[in-house]
Amino acid sequence: MNLFKAILLLIIFITPLKANTIYNLIKIPNLEIYEINTKNKLKYFYATSLFRLGVQKNIVCLNSNKKDLEKKYKTIYKTLSRYSYDYLKKINLKYIVLCENLSISGINTAGIPDNIMKTLILDIKFNEDYFERVIHHEVFHIINGQHKELFDENEWIEFNNSEFKYAKCSTCTKKLGLETYKKTNGFFTEYSKSTASEDMAEVYSHIIFLNKKKIDKIRNSDPILNNKISYIENKIKKIDNSFTF
Amino acid sequence: MIKKIKASTSEKIILIFLVILLISTLGTYFIIKNKCLFIKSFDPKNINFKNPNNIAILNVPCGNVIIELYPKVSPNGVERFITLIKSSAYDDVAFHRVIENKLVQAGDLEFGRKEALDYGKIGTGKSGLGIIKSEIENEFNYTKGSVGLARTFKNDTEDSQFFIILQDEPLFEGEYTPVGKVIYGLEILKKIKHQRHSEYILRPDFINTFRMLD
Repeated sequence: MNLFKAILLLIIFITPLKANTIYNLIKIPNLEIYEINTKNKLKYFYATSLFRLGVQKNIVCLNSNKKDLEKKYKTIYKTLSRYSYDYLKKINLKYIVLCENLSISGINTAGIPDNIMKTLILDIKFNEDYFERVIHHEVFHIINGQHKELFDENEWIEFNNSEFKYAKCSTCTKKLGLETYKKTNGFFTEYSKSTASEDMAEVYSHIIFLNKKKIDKIRNSDPILNNKISYIENKIKKIDNSFTF
Repeated sequence: MIKKIKASTSEKIILIFLVILLISTLGTYFIIKNKCLFIKSFDPKNINFKNPNNIAILNVPCGNVIIELYPKVSPNGVERFITLIKSSAYDDVAFHRVIENKLVQAGDLEFGRKEALDYGKIGTGKSGLGIIKSEIENEFNYTKGSVGLARTFKNDTEDSQFFIILQDEPLFEGEYTPVGKVIYGLEILKKIKHQRHSEYILRPDFINTFRMLD
């Protein structure tokens, strides 16, 4: 027991000092403040060098040059300004990490949401065509993680035709297309067909991103999507009744 | 008859050099030994306070640190803090976590006491009064000297541990329950024992006393 205590003490006292406030708060190394004085109190950080996360260090993201950061920050800031401080508090999102070439286990991804750490990591080099909408998509994953009890996947699956089946996970399918279908037929994008939770995120991001006229048109022409849109809207209202789509 | 021998110029220089060396050695020894030498301590009796009921005096090795508490910002947090101060619970409790020029943390009433210091568990102890909810809704600027309640990784786990920041920490707003601000004696806290390679301190400094003004 004494030996165990001695080893423990040795480890404690030789541990290098990481007096880094950002690291202490969100456990991501190599970050610096990009902007923290925002209207909705979102705090933006950027990677100063490559960082690795996760138990197996399988999440990797690179730093970016200033010019790219400046350009993309404007878009991200504008997109996330859509959300009020109160709404962000309810969904538990506070920190945005900006970096480049974000990947999990070698698979590129637009963002990694973590509602427990109140953090959303965004790949600023993600496909420009879908970038803004994808931010909302990732915000939904924060919402879903924070309010799991509200979003029932079995209930959601019932909206689809009985013969349709989602894949077992979002990365174990080739359905990765993000282009919005012209003929929706129950799904906004090919990626919607991957899993129920990705489908929900795609519906949410489209409701936020598309204008009301377009959404109304889709609702009138696609009864499945109409149900899905109503479902998401109702659940979001339960989280924040003042939120407007 | 003994002949008087005059000291040569070089001998005089060597003598003066040795005297200077002796003075500087002794001076340096006392300066190094007494870390509080140039630190001003504050006597609360000589200060007029706007809200004397909200003033707490933290006495540490180099003197008095005077803290104004903000019950309007965090009513429950300040109430807990005052309860512990009034029961002298913080006396002889270690500054177990110190980061040079960044923050000092104390208040582990279970494993941080001078007579029962437990290096293996320090920082995890409880007060016995239970945990309280975080109060992070109100606006508060975490400028240097701010005092906040420490918590575990999760919110709503505040108990007795508190920290005082020695530099501005804007990211602390909305994360930690603020309870007050140091209005006199921040320099005193910079002399609390710290280590370069660890924020946890071997043979730490202790709080002498912690009292409310009235």
